[in-house]
Amino acid sequence: MNGRIAAVAAAAVLLALPPALAAQVDRLAGRVDERTLAAVTALVDSARASGVPATPLVNKALEGASKGASGERIAAAVRALAGDLAGARVALGPGASEPELVAGAAALRAGAGPAYLARLRSTYPRESLVVPLAVTADLVARGVPADTATRTVLALMHEGVQDADLVAFRQSVERDIALGAPAGGTAAALAGAVITGEPVMPGNNIPPPRPRKP
Amino acid sequence: MSAELRLPVEASAGFEARVMAAVRRAPAPLPERVWAWLGEPRALAVSPLGGLAAAAVLALLFAGGTWAALRTARAPVAAPAAAAQPAGGAGSVVTFVLVAPRARTVALAGDFDGWDRTRLPMRRGASGLWTLDVPLAPGRYQYAFVVDGRQFVADPSAPRAVGDDFGEPNSVVTVSGGAPRGAGGAL
Amino acid sequence: MSGDASDGELVRRVAAGDTEVFSGLVARHRARALRYAVAMLGDRADAEEALQDAFVRAYRGIGSCREPDRFGAWFLRILVNRCRTRAAARRRGAALFVRDDLAVERAAARPDGDPEWREEIQRALARLDALQREAFLLKHVEEREYEEMARLTGARIPALKMRVKRACDRLREMLREVDHDRTG
Repeated sequence: MNGRIAAVAAAAVLLALPPALAAQVDRLAGRVDERTLAAVTALVDSARASGVPATPLVNKALEGASKGASGERIAAAVRALAGDLAGARVALGPGASEPELVAGAAALRAGAGPAYLARLRSTYPRESLVVPLAVTADLVARGVPADTATRTVLALMHEGVQDADLVAFRQSVERDIALGAPAGGTAAALAGAVITGEPVMPGNNIPPPRPRKP
Repeated sequence: MSAELRLPVEASAGFEARVMAAVRRAPAPLPERVWAWLGEPRALAVSPLGGLAAAAVLALLFAGGTWAALRTARAPVAAPAAAAQPAGGAGSVVTFVLVAPRARTVALAGDFDGWDRTRLPMRRGASGLWTLDVPLAPGRYQYAFVVDGRQFVADPSAPRAVGDDFGEPNSVVTVSGGAPRGAGGAL
Repeated sequence: MSGDASDGELVRRVAAGDTEVFSGLVARHRARALRYAVAMLGDRADAEEALQDAFVRAYRGIGSCREPDRFGAWFLRILVNRCRTRAAARRRGAALFVRDDLAVERAAARPDGDPEWREEIQRALARLDALQREAFLLKHVEEREYEEMARLTGARIPALKMRVKRACDRLREMLREVDHDRTG
């Protein structure tokens, strides 16, 4: 599309958007070129049909704009995020809040799988899943394999571990990994420690090698 | 003396009954297959240092590049509303910190401010320590520091976002604020 | 009848879903476990609460007991931590003295023991640093080896040996005076 046609198309879509969405997209005006604005507007509009909120998509576009990325790259990123958010919407159900969808999309991007999101939702239908989903994504980003991350978060939640402790758990895992422990084993072993209430000790948490069982 | 101490101590009447009552109320034990992949339990580390000091230790560990950063989250400004909706709660004030003695300006950019490079300038303190307190509603936010108006720097002491859309990985901050959650559920 | 089943068998049955046989493990281990908790915490009510908490955690985490025949040692680890948590929750210096009614209760329970002497020991224990008391009890009352104590507490063996030595020295000092009063 050439620039002028893009601008007209964008204007047309903007006019057709509900005012709240239009206001969101309007944040992009002046930050991206018209072609990109048109592309993002179209993506926001079609994502709306899948129950995906506009704000995270616009934030992603703004991030790209701020970092000086090309229009194509911005559109690609927004498209990918819209896909993740749509997946999160399906897995988490119609009652999911925007923060839950954002965290859910991050967990999906990390490789957690929609079944994991659906299971969290069915097990805890009335409670916020923002922190469990966020911690899952953060663990994977730090190198914990996705299936280990999902299993440890599920086990901890089964034991009644609350949000603040999930965050503290994730911080402990990160600290151990920074000190050289293997990511997957660390996450699993620390989760086991949380559940059985093992002794708390300060400082370096890397254990000496255990003697082999006979 | 030890012999005296080694004498077993009888529990009060009804102790066993109380324990079994509590056991019956408890969620079912995790199945063995769950423990099989949970691995050998290890002691959980808790930093003996408080808040900022602990973060400073972390910062030293992470000081791979030029930037060392510290971040702590403080208690909520107001008590979060005990909302049934996941979106409820008053959130928290998060303190962002970056050690950047040679920077002329440092700003905070992220999902919470539309990635504006100038909207959230950070305050410079002693020894090149830049800080900013930001109240955030519950949610998960990607962010980065902007040094001298142009260079995006991730927060080394914060979790990373999964993947990077634009070539520079972001940091993530998660603010909780929901009502307490019950235990249980099938595994 | 669970009275004849070994610890290992009981653990495996609980892990397989038989909640009720857990009472057999409680019955078998509670007196020794309470001995440790009372000596460690100095207060019977606290000790019973810590012990109850430990049993419930042991039940919930029963699948992580990797050597079911050594349930006692595994359980002690959980109890040590529950006592630590409980002690940490109390204010420093408060309520570490044996109450008079506690001494009376113990005297009633074990008529062949010397209640006053027991109470003196308990007072002396209460005046030890918590980590020293813990190490002393594990070594000389629970009779654990240092390798196992290291796994139980997370501390290194040299540190544990030092704590035990210091505890013994201090206890001897504190009880020597009392002993002179008794026998003199």
